[in-house]
Amino acid sequence: MRDRHLKYLLVAPAVLVVFATAVWPLIESLRYSLHAGRLSRPDFPQAFIGLENYTWAFLEEPAFWNSVWVTLWFTVVTVALTTAFALAFALLLAPGGRFRVGIQSLLILPFAMSPALIGVSFRFMFNPEFGLFDAFFGALLPGLADISWLADPTLAFWVVVMADVWGWIPFLTLVLIGGLASIPQETLEAGRVDGASGARIFLDITLPQLKPVLAVVIILKAIFSLKTFDLVYMLTNGGPGDATQTLSHYVYFNGFKYSNIGYSAAVAWLMVIPMVFLTYAYTRLVFAREESH
Amino acid sequence: MALSGRQQKLFWNAVQILLILAFTLVMLVPIAWIALAAFKQHVDVYQLKVFFTPTFENFRTVFEEPYSLGDKLRNSTVVATVTVLITIPVATLAAYAFSRFDMRGRTLLLVLILATQFVPAVVIVLPFFVMFRDLGILDTLRGLVLVNTAIVMPFAIWMIKGFIDGIPIDTEEAALVDGSSRLQVIGNIVLPMAAPGLVTAAIFCFIIAWNEFLFALILTNRDAVTLPVGLALFKAEEGDLWNLLAAAGIIIMVPMFVLALIIRKHFVQGMTMGAVR
Repeated sequence: MRDRHLKYLLVAPAVLVVFATAVWPLIESLRYSLHAGRLSRPDFPQAFIGLENYTWAFLEEPAFWNSVWVTLWFTVVTVALTTAFALAFALLLAPGGRFRVGIQSLLILPFAMSPALIGVSFRFMFNPEFGLFDAFFGALLPGLADISWLADPTLAFWVVVMADVWGWIPFLTLVLIGGLASIPQETLEAGRVDGASGARIFLDITLPQLKPVLAVVIILKAIFSLKTFDLVYMLTNGGPGDATQTLSHYVYFNGFKYSNIGYSAAVAWLMVIPMVFLTYAYTRLVFAREESH
Repeated sequence: MALSGRQQKLFWNAVQILLILAFTLVMLVPIAWIALAAFKQHVDVYQLKVFFTPTFENFRTVFEEPYSLGDKLRNSTVVATVTVLITIPVATLAAYAFSRFDMRGRTLLLVLILATQFVPAVVIVLPFFVMFRDLGILDTLRGLVLVNTAIVMPFAIWMIKGFIDGIPIDTEEAALVDGSSRLQVIGNIVLPMAAPGLVTAAIFCFIIAWNEFLFALILTNRDAVTLPVGLALFKAEEGDLWNLLAAAGIIIMVPMFVLALIIRKHFVQGMTMGAVR
């Protein structure tokens, strides 16, 4: 067979799978979102109701706005904290040597843990009676001893943040170590010869050259933070009340607990919109980097 | 007293090593604590004991009724294995074509494939649930294999394409000139050279399918429940059964730790391709 035809034949099955399982569900969800969609009734989806599901979310549902703010605040905090810690850790580990490289391979362990399992572990660690972290924080600040962490709205939110940051630091650290390694040594050497201090070298030489990698890391983490579900489901199940209910969890709840698929599809589609911008930015950055190599 | 340059250097090095150790401790303690709890007796879990008489009882109990973790273990293994066996060949053919041939709209297609990784899973799962209900494949392993294949395919294409890009094209061209067909070239030249990359991609896909939670949670309820969803079994009326949860957690984590260590060199590269949906 000629290559001219063969190449399309080779690509076809994979492309078909990807688009059938990503594009079709997107369109189908959009269709649900424009209908009254009670899953419990056999004639699903029911009457076409235009944008009513969307206006319902915007105008009638404080719980929707709550999950928007929870998700945005969660994203801002986790992106900032994870990036900051990962950058510090990467700078400490980047110089290499047997000790540091050994630690680098240990960092893979937390990352091979599924977020659901991280959720379970942190629930265990913050148990007020016998949790290790509870005991630790209690020893540091006696006021925090034996607190029901997950029963308090504010504390529960921060426990979810901590678990998420803990789970993502290793990966971001490893990516940033890769970024630091690609900075030409001569530029750092030149700074040292000129007698610049460590802090100056970092701010004036390292940081500007690390910017593209940092941007990739921040966007990637933002995408994952905006979608957070597994961790929340296992750690707090959105509670107490709806204090830790992210958008993904809100969609799940409306779709499968209240079996209102039409409404949950509308909210899910509202999540797609910021994702499109972030994904666009991400692919631009990744391709710009590939081409410059 | 001012420190000499050498002393200063030593001092900073010591500070750095202390910071690294502290950081590492924070990263590893939660895992170690779960590992300890898995070997504790029921009474010891509820205390902050580091020294205790270890027991394997928990690992036996989780496999017994009513938990039957063995069924979940089998489901997870079957789903992840079959997913990999379908994904890798399909993705390899596509990756080869993307790597070696000029096609109209190739870059756009590759970008779109990457972009599908970032669609929130909750958007995708709604139509899948309705479709599976209509087809009668809710709570089946077939259904889970289907969604997991969908989840890992884009990522597998990208990763394998990266590996094939790195293989020099000369030998292929020589073989073509000598009269080999394109498929022979793929089978005899490209596959052997890409083998390490294919193994890495396969392990990645296995880990992703193994840890997948949201789809399994929604699309199964009894027969096809996988390990991560099975964790919910250990919630009892009197609270969570922590020693059993920990034992189940160890059974989920340890195989993935081993696999992750095997492919650690390619871990970062793979993850930036959006390995997690």
